[in-house]
Amino acid sequence: MTEVSLRSLQKFYGKTAALKAISLDVNHGEFVSLLGPSGCGKSTTLKCIAGFEDITDGRICFDNKDISRKLPEDRDIGMVFQSYALFPHMTVTQNLAFGLEMRHVPKAEIAQRVARAMEMVQLTPYADRYPKKLSGGQQQRVALARALVIEPAILLLDEPLANLDAKLRDEMRGFIRDLQKRVGITTIYVTHDQNEAMTMSDRVVVMFDGEIAQAATPEDVYNRPASERVARFVGNANILDLPIARTDAQGTTVTLPGGATLQITRPAPSGQSRLRVMARPEQITLTSADLGQLPGRIEKRYFSGGHVEYSVATDCGPLFVTGPTTQHFAEGDSVGLCFDPARLWPLPDAESAQ
Amino acid sequence: MKRFRATLLIVPTAALIFFFVILPYVTVLLMSFRAPADGQPYGQGFSLEGYQQFFSQPYYALSLPSSLALGMATTFVCLVLGYPIALHIATASRRWRGLLYGIVLSPLLVGIVVRSYGWTILLGNSGVINSSLRNLGLIDRPLPLMYNNFGVILALAHVFLPFMVLPLLSSLQSIDPAIAQAARSLGARRFTIFRRVTFPVSMPGVQAGCILVFVLAISSYVTPSLVGGMRVKTTTLLVIDALIDQYQWPFGSAMALILAVTAGIVVLIFARLTRMKWT
Repeated sequence: MTEVSLRSLQKFYGKTAALKAISLDVNHGEFVSLLGPSGCGKSTTLKCIAGFEDITDGRICFDNKDISRKLPEDRDIGMVFQSYALFPHMTVTQNLAFGLEMRHVPKAEIAQRVARAMEMVQLTPYADRYPKKLSGGQQQRVALARALVIEPAILLLDEPLANLDAKLRDEMRGFIRDLQKRVGITTIYVTHDQNEAMTMSDRVVVMFDGEIAQAATPEDVYNRPASERVARFVGNANILDLPIARTDAQGTTVTLPGGATLQITRPAPSGQSRLRVMARPEQITLTSADLGQLPGRIEKRYFSGGHVEYSVATDCGPLFVTGPTTQHFAEGDSVGLCFDPARLWPLPDAESAQ
Repeated sequence: MKRFRATLLIVPTAALIFFFVILPYVTVLLMSFRAPADGQPYGQGFSLEGYQQFFSQPYYALSLPSSLALGMATTFVCLVLGYPIALHIATASRRWRGLLYGIVLSPLLVGIVVRSYGWTILLGNSGVINSSLRNLGLIDRPLPLMYNNFGVILALAHVFLPFMVLPLLSSLQSIDPAIAQAARSLGARRFTIFRRVTFPVSMPGVQAGCILVFVLAISSYVTPSLVGGMRVKTTTLLVIDALIDQYQWPFGSAMALILAVTAGIVVLIFARLTRMKWT
């Protein structure tokens, strides 16, 4: 197992900065996702780690050894590409054997290891097929096995599920995660899909504009986002901009339009008269109009199977709320919204400072 | 009904092929079995004399293997010269690619007669190369650069190079760049990637380019006649000679058919040998 660390990694394309001094430590056996919109630098980071891009400045270390100047073929990485990049003229077996042949592994051992890898990804019956004769999911598994059979120091995955249909994607998500845990390999996974990042990772690294906005557990990124931008990128976020009534040892008390107060158990940034707090859609409950802390009116109602999604017009602007299917609110109904102060997250003011 | 109307769409093409490919071939086939005659292109009745004449006289019969050899050599030279060009264009930046494309295609803009004549100016006994070398005192007598296979292959390779480069290029450009990266990540170095991945994956282009150049080269007339100066005997030259100069249509037709069938067989064998199970 290997520890990866990026130290002040910089990448410039001409005068444009693609990566602005990124630092990140990935622990032994950890599964880390780089998550962000396109152009945020997540793929560039991965390519730098793989060695397909030269870095402008900084260092990349595997187990504290600087490998920044090594060629990709000498870095001992396993990589899975978005397009799978299987060798079309080779059978599944030949694809898997390629990396081992490059390492001059004895023939008998190659056969053994390829067979084991093929079993691991449940492709044994397809050993002699060419990639064209395989489904997307099967090709994906070949790519995964090809990367893992060489027992690389680290595994890099570049949006590997982007080309699969939704159902297969969910299946492969679990498959990759289980496999990674079983093998125990340090893994860096690039995706723009926050669901993928959250369900698979030990840690999610949210990136914007060539910088790391937050690196934390999925729970922290979701419930305690470092900025409004992170909050909005990861899941749906309702941001309420509320006046502060008072700040004391218990935390901060804010006032909702209509007069109800909420006590947030965290101190507000000093010198502020207003506080921006985030509430996730499922953290707001809907009740009858006379009971809630904030009155509202249902604008739109979407039934989505497991729950119901509402867009509610309030004096804090439109809020997005999800409720159980056992509750029945129709479009146009007046409702009351209830907040759980313990789960409201005050956003740092960093965004406005930027 | 819908199917029928869709079928109508192929009528123009089918008609073109029928009138300009199938019908002429049938005519040539019939003509090749006609009896020869004096003073007129062909006589009454049918005979196998055209075929007999070809196979019984070494002057004619031997032109076939030498035509095939010439075609194969031209194909080989085109492949060896064309592959690096195609590889280079495929990996060039977009700005350069357009320019390089233009350079590769430029020979097609000049007529084949002009291009072949150009080679005679360069390669002739008192041509540019020989007179330069002589003036420099490097040689006493002119090097045999034309009126032989060397000159013909050289000129043919030049003339047909674009037909090799274009299929290679389209094949190389359709290769996912991630494939080479994948090979690298698995530990392969540049030459290994070329030998084990890039080249085999470009095989459809190699196959198409080789077939195209071979077929064009063995059926070419202008270049062998100008640069070879009738001293390089290809079957095509003999066909034209029989048809136009000797006025023997059955014999010329027989030779033309023998050449076409042989070329077809060679192409089939080649396609069989380079068959890709993975496409």
